Amino acid sequence: MRTDTGGRGPTAAVSFAWLTALAWLAALAAALIHGPVLTLAANRLVPGVPVSGGSALGPVLPAILALSALAAGLLAVSPGRRAGAAALALAVAAAGLFAGGLGHGAALRMADQPPAARAGLGAGAWLAAALLGAALGLAVRRCRQPGLGLVVVGLGLVGLVAAGRAGLFDALSLAVEYAARREAVHAAFVEHLVLAGGALGLAVPAVILLSLWRRGQDAVGIAIGGVQVVPAVALLGGLVALTGGLLRAVPPLRDLGLSALGPAPAMVGVAAYLLLPLWRGLAAALRAPDPASLDAARAMGLTDAQILARLRLPLGAPLLVGALRVAAVQGIGLATLGALVGAGGLGRIVFDGMAQFAPDLILLGAVPVVALSLVAERTLSAVEDGMRAGLPA
Amino acid sequence: MSLRPIVTVAATGLALAALSHPAVATRIAKILGEAPRRALDAERLLALALQHLVLAGTGLALVAGLGIGLGIVATRRGAAALRPAIDGVAAAAQAVPPVVVVALALPVLGFGGPPTLLALVAYGVMPVLRGTVGALETVSREAREAAEAMGLTRRQILLSVELPLAAPGIVETLRTALVLSIATAAVGALAGAATLGTPIVAGLQNQNTVPMLQGACATAALAFLGDAAMLGLAALARISRPRT
Repeated sequence: MRTDTGGRGPTAAVSFAWLTALAWLAALAAALIHGPVLTLAANRLVPGVPVSGGSALGPVLPAILALSALAAGLLAVSPGRRAGAAALALAVAAAGLFAGGLGHGAALRMADQPPAARAGLGAGAWLAAALLGAALGLAVRRCRQPGLGLVVVGLGLVGLVAAGRAGLFDALSLAVEYAARREAVHAAFVEHLVLAGGALGLAVPAVILLSLWRRGQDAVGIAIGGVQVVPAVALLGGLVALTGGLLRAVPPLRDLGLSALGPAPAMVGVAAYLLLPLWRGLAAALRAPDPASLDAARAMGLTDAQILARLRLPLGAPLLVGALRVAAVQGIGLATLGALVGAGGLGRIVFDGMAQFAPDLILLGAVPVVALSLVAERTLSAVEDGMRAGLPA
Repeated sequence: MSLRPIVTVAATGLALAALSHPAVATRIAKILGEAPRRALDAERLLALALQHLVLAGTGLALVAGLGIGLGIVATRRGAAALRPAIDGVAAAAQAVPPVVVVALALPVLGFGGPPTLLALVAYGVMPVLRGTVGALETVSREAREAAEAMGLTRRQILLSVELPLAAPGIVETLRTALVLSIATAAVGALAGAATLGTPIVAGLQNQNTVPMLQGACATAALAFLGDAAMLGLAALARISRPRT
């Protein structure tokens, strides 16, 4: 696609920006005014009665909408950095008011209810959160400040945790569910990190070893590509059966703590899927220097090892980090399935929630998974961008 | 191009399908030292495979329609401003694994096919959209300008120049989407959809290895056979592509 706006000149781009801003604002208003922002239920399992934003958020609602309208207007008027920064401040304020208003609204409704009653977040709240998040992302991009996104996300998380500690969200059922299972969630979070990190730790040396096997490159490529075709549920099931057989054939392995159901098959299974992105990244990174620089390096008498250390790795570093980013996001997602083979992790909370048909329990497992992969994605892509900026063009 | 990769993939699929046959799977389980338990008969396995295929196929059709349609819209003139937004949403969508989508849709849509279908679409649309945009971008400016100079309308340029030239890239994207939707349909077993994932999940819960192996081999077989079919389609698209 060309970056110009065709024959219609800059006016087309401007009116398009206004159209997008208006559509965004209309969607936000619809989600907050008409959408079910909260759902009130007698207990954690029955479906709740929807409460619209108009009555749940009260006087905060017009303030949120006004701030959002200003932010959208600023983003539509100018693509500049100053407008972006102002829009960012406005959007952060709107998001803060929204979070506070939800907690406060839920607390008001729960005040005279029996302890089993729950105030859950409704579809309107999730939609509004996604829309506000999109506006925040655009505003951050407009500021053109590397690393700003991470800072905003970090400060946002700190703010949410601090507000939660202060009891602002105590009436929301997600917080109630969390309070009841704090230990289990923390343990699952650590297990999840170990599972995803362990898989990455297995896959990285495996890819390096495989790439050293010069003769078998074609076969390795086909095998690694083939693994991607196998559905994860099937691979995990097959690995459990194989591990069971292996343990029966070599019983001493049991003494090492290996078991057919548990973290071992899950880690191996997840690692198998991470081979392809890492393999491709490594191959691309080694090819990063152009042939002329390689010839020059050889002419200067550098050995292959020196060329690797001084030329290929520094030039290919952003590509390696990019591959690591893709693998990390995939690993965090796939580790969720590990609970299926008894490996624990956040997936266990998700599956418990599915078994009990309890939406808040599912969210309690799902939200950290999504947050983890977004943080991994953002962090590693910031590192990647930083490396690219440091390279000679 | 040679047919070898297609044959290799198809042969892998057929071999896995053979492994899922009750008699073969029982023998493998015996080699692995599992207690012999009742296997799923071939009829039940075929019925599950058919349901799996219908679910994944419906998902793929929805994903293809939405993804390619939106991809075409995103590459039209005047929509260039949408590109960063598309890339952002695509990256965000990848952060939500299919299991999580299935799980989140469960309380809203109930047990069975619908949450799985939603997960199929939610997870598949963005990669197809991105792939379509990428494929359409490879169409050279010269080809487009030549068509314009010949007096073709925008719709004619799209239908008889851009789409045929981009077809191999789009088919390649759909191939990934098919593999993805077969995997997601297997995950749907967790939400109670009757697919080839069902015997795997049930087998894991009951420590019943034979149906688990059968389900795993059959699911993988379906994925490889689907992949082979798409590879064949891609070869056709490349053959019938107009020369530039």
